[in-house]
Amino acid sequence: MRSFILKRLGLGVLVLLGVITVTFFITRVIPSDPAAQWVGPRATPQQIAAARVELGLDQPLYVQYGKYISQLVHGDLGKSLRSHQPVADELKSYLPATIELVVLSTIIALFLGIPLGVISAKRKDQLVDHFSRIFCVGAVSLPTFWVGLFLQLLFYRILGVLPLGDQLSTDVKLLYEIPHITGFLLFDSLVTGNLVVFKDALVHMILPGITIALYPLGLVARMTRSALLEILNEDYISAARSYGLPERLVLWKYALKNTLGPTATVVTLSIGYTLVNTFLIEAIFSWPGIGSYISAAVISLDYPAIMGVTIFSAIAYVILNMIADFIIALDPRVRA
Amino acid sequence: MVLTIFALTIVTGCGGNQAGQGGQKAKIAYYAYNSEPVLDWDPSVEFSNGIVVMNNIYETLLRYDPAENKVIPVLATDYTKSPDGLTWTFHLRKGVKFHDGTEMKADAVKFSIERTKKLNKGAAYIWEPVQQINVKDDYTVEFKLSYAAPLDLIASCGYAAFIMSPKVANQPEDWFAKGNEAGTGPYKLQSTKKGEEVVLTRFDEYWRGWEGNHFDKVIIKKVPETASRRQLVEKGEADVTIELPYEDVEALKKNSNVEVLTAPAFQNLFFCLNTEKAPLNNKLVRQALSYAFPYDDVVKYAMGNYATQARGAIPYGHWGHGDNLFQYKHDLNKAKELLAQAGYPNGGFKLLLTYMSGDEAEKKTAELYKAELAKLNINLEVRGMPWESQWEMAKSKDPNQRQDILGMYWWVDYASPYSWLRSIFHSENDILFNLNYYKNPTFDKLIDEANAKSGIDRAGAEKMYIDAQKILVEDAPSIFAYDKKCVWIYNKHFKGLKSNAAYPNTIFFYDTYRE
Repeated sequence: MRSFILKRLGLGVLVLLGVITVTFFITRVIPSDPAAQWVGPRATPQQIAAARVELGLDQPLYVQYGKYISQLVHGDLGKSLRSHQPVADELKSYLPATIELVVLSTIIALFLGIPLGVISAKRKDQLVDHFSRIFCVGAVSLPTFWVGLFLQLLFYRILGVLPLGDQLSTDVKLLYEIPHITGFLLFDSLVTGNLVVFKDALVHMILPGITIALYPLGLVARMTRSALLEILNEDYISAARSYGLPERLVLWKYALKNTLGPTATVVTLSIGYTLVNTFLIEAIFSWPGIGSYISAAVISLDYPAIMGVTIFSAIAYVILNMIADFIIALDPRVRA
Repeated sequence: MVLTIFALTIVTGCGGNQAGQGGQKAKIAYYAYNSEPVLDWDPSVEFSNGIVVMNNIYETLLRYDPAENKVIPVLATDYTKSPDGLTWTFHLRKGVKFHDGTEMKADAVKFSIERTKKLNKGAAYIWEPVQQINVKDDYTVEFKLSYAAPLDLIASCGYAAFIMSPKVANQPEDWFAKGNEAGTGPYKLQSTKKGEEVVLTRFDEYWRGWEGNHFDKVIIKKVPETASRRQLVEKGEADVTIELPYEDVEALKKNSNVEVLTAPAFQNLFFCLNTEKAPLNNKLVRQALSYAFPYDDVVKYAMGNYATQARGAIPYGHWGHGDNLFQYKHDLNKAKELLAQAGYPNGGFKLLLTYMSGDEAEKKTAELYKAELAKLNINLEVRGMPWESQWEMAKSKDPNQRQDILGMYWWVDYASPYSWLRSIFHSENDILFNLNYYKNPTFDKLIDEANAKSGIDRAGAEKMYIDAQKILVEDAPSIFAYDKKCVWIYNKHFKGLKSNAAYPNTIFFYDTYRE
């Protein structure tokens, strides 16, 4: 097991280094003038020349690369060309909102997806199962941004029961002290006992949270269903039934427990997808997360910011893949 | 799924009072902005969206009102200039306080401008003519210029002309970035979420006082989705927004709760022609291309009539705009004639046009133009590129590596025709913004002299600028496409909104109120 972990870690580091190197050179090859961006849209030649030296762009590419890597080791992602602020600081301020959304939507996906899968398996080929299938196929295949816009139309414009976007409503933002400990709004407001802020924040998370949860939800439900059906045919389930154990116990305890391995793997891997999906959805919900940050950075070719987000996403993917591998490895059948 | 959402709504106890908070919100203004409210919090550096926020926190010596063509006193009560236009003396307002409590005096003015010049980022170049700043006494400050430039217009610039507290000098480099400010404006910075929103709160000791019906707080928030901005204004949650698709604006005009204000925006679209490469190095071909451009269709279909055909390089409403300048009209026969004279009776050449990707109006314009050129047997390849990339291509030293036609917007920095004429058409050794590669010593001399004259005799300078544009229209280095209009969409209860094209997209919130 130990050599397995070490091997995985080593591979992860290699993948990261690869991603960093490739993105570094791609961003430098794309025609653009970072020095001109640094000084602003109407820079004079003198301003640009000064910026070129300031940013080290007068150095050969390999020197710039070496410098970038050594800065990276010290946790320095460089400065954004647009805002002139350290990218690491900016990521820190944008990340919590995104992570909170990813975590919430994963929880929604699990809490709704697993029971849905169990019910479908139990009522295989009955009406409930058909509905569930249609729902899941829709959840996985409908474009997420379309779903987001549709939910906004329904719940904000027509019914007027949920907010359009943002993390908090305007008056709450102005009239209440917004706690800031970890940057995770739900967590911070809850631990400080700031219930008005907590409630408002939660209400604001419903629509984006559900929009993003749809894809993993469909996946989890289908995965649970098929894994469960397979297990329900196993001998030990028949044995349990023949002992006269209540069906409820057989299904929810003995059978479901054994589907958790594959489901957990699917969930872990789909979190990566969810993360990127969240980037897209944030614009629709004016969500102040990494998504709006990266879209602004890409449009203006702010390459230190682009690299910062890329590196973050790569790390997230590598870690999630490792977790998925470990979950699989925990299964004695695989380890052997 | 719908049921689930309902269940969650009930559990969290949301009563549906999200929109239209009414009375409680009465003193809060909400501006749903299309982009990041501020990029750089340093008032010496910010040269982008931040104009919208900065002008409510900081003030300049003067402010320019293009509609009335006059300069309004702000931190300076009045100013004088020497007959040669080289010495300008500003008399400062007494009893003005910075948000940190310091009184605004001459040393603060000297400090602010010198700091901006020294940092030399953003729009710092506007101060180039200033050689020396002298503090005469606490309330008098003197500027010595190297040539007679219009310092009153420079001092009213919406960028890089802000006066800040001299205490800034003692602060660490990242002090502004950490969400601090040191202005004299009506509003102080209450809080900000980086790149997302800015909350301003009133500065009780503001020199103009708070007797009137002013907003206590202002929120300027990035709402990138046009559909969201539209819904926010329709529901009355946001007071005002900009940059909605023209189809939406038309629809909103029918909504009795919403008002639409259109006003000149000192911003226009050019198509720069590569005058150093065949066949566009031929003046006749350039004129033919100017005749082939479908001006009316572009204004109608690409801009939904929220623009007017340009007349010369200076936008409508800006001083130096030539009302009587020659204007090319869409005329394919004339274009054909000119092409025949130039030796291309059957067209038969290819051109590459690049525009800024993501800009729908530019894209539609380019497509409409492509269809017209096809009628002349000219094959136009249309390519959307990020601005940075197309600019890089245009700066290429080899004329053959560049695009033939490049779409570019220009907008006001400080209100002077020189910004357009000098930046886009003055000869350059290193290519920067003269992406027509136009070189005409007569033209250069004329606008340089006009610039020096504009500090002393603005009417005389204006005539020279118009003469210079006559040369441009004749030489046709650019296709002057359209002058944009600024479109404000706001709640009918939101009052006092004035569009000032010299400060694009900026609302001076102190002047606004709710009725």
